[in-house]
Amino acid sequence: MSRNLFAKLEESINNRKDTFLLTITEYPDEKLIGAKALLWPDGEFCTEASLLPLDVRDLLSIHCNKLVTKKRSGTVRFMWKDRLIECFAEYFPSPLHLIVAGAGHVCEPVAEMGRLLGFFVTVIDDRKEFANRERFPNANEVVCQSYLDYFRHVDITEKTYILLLTRGHKYDVLSLNELLKREFQAGYIGMIGSRRRISGVFEEIQRDFPHESFENLYTPVGLDIGAETPAEIAVSIMAEILKVKNQKSGDSLSSQIKRFAKMGFHEGAGKWTKCSL
Amino acid sequence: MDQMQLIKRTLDIRKGGEKAALATIIRTKGSTPRKTGSRMIVFPCGRVEGTIGGGCGEAEVIEEAFQVIQTNTPSQKRVDLTKGLFYEDGGICGGIMDVFIEPI
Repeated sequence: MSRNLFAKLEESINNRKDTFLLTITEYPDEKLIGAKALLWPDGEFCTEASLLPLDVRDLLSIHCNKLVTKKRSGTVRFMWKDRLIECFAEYFPSPLHLIVAGAGHVCEPVAEMGRLLGFFVTVIDDRKEFANRERFPNANEVVCQSYLDYFRHVDITEKTYILLLTRGHKYDVLSLNELLKREFQAGYIGMIGSRRRISGVFEEIQRDFPHESFENLYTPVGLDIGAETPAEIAVSIMAEILKVKNQKSGDSLSSQIKRFAKMGFHEGAGKWTKCSL
Repeated sequence: MDQMQLIKRTLDIRKGGEKAALATIIRTKGSTPRKTGSRMIVFPCGRVEGTIGGGCGEAEVIEEAFQVIQTNTPSQKRVDLTKGLFYEDGGICGGIMDVFIEPI
């Protein structure tokens, strides 16, 4: 693969676009075996192999279309001038975008964990001392800008997950207002804050957005695991985000088994029977 | 992104003037140790980076990769894990996988 094509692939993923990498694995002209191309869901096609005839490019796009629709890797085979062409199409899904607004103490472990979990992580804060590379060496993007400007223009899809962890509740609320005005809604919006403060905010927001269901809004943020330190809070928040992403209950996996334990069922050493249920 | 990292490595290896081959699983059938798109880089000395599942199947691919490096010609290798071989480590998978091997 040429450096140029790789750079395009990387750029495309950084721009959060689903991308397919095509490798020709069988071709009448041996010189073209191993040739690479990129294909995007909108039909755009880009290759480094200048020898690849135009009609073959079209055939490749057409045959890969099924994989593009299904969003999965696979191998396609077809005949061209009575000769076999085989191509491996590899799916590079665009990562989910995690935007963390407020680059304070909690943001640090959240950004780290977000990266570990495969998110494209953006950290945004309006203070240079906080929104900088030294503090967030592993984030994909560190933005120093006012929250309002940022949330007014940033790309938002159901693959966008937003955390509002700013230093003052008013910034969270202003950002939230801006986000709710947007045409497309994020897959998840989490807002930090105490229950009491949040209930006040909610009443206010509901007046402004009477038709909004707030299905994607999670506040106070995180799962109930008694988190106190920044790292613990990050676990609680990221666990909730995974729960939403994977559409699961967030319960302990063992809770299903415990139900059977009451009926006298026990596994292995029979520890369950000793549990106080 | 693991998927990207091995591709990026191939660029660096080529830039450094080293010879090697890249093996990619392009098709699987039945139960295989790794999925389509898994990659492994093979060096002439036998060193590998990444894995396509380990065991005898991977060893076959490494052998083939030496040929690819020598001839500088891509090739495909079918790894058949269905032939009831009882590996000592007990790692039996009952599938077939096609591996595309290209010179870097």
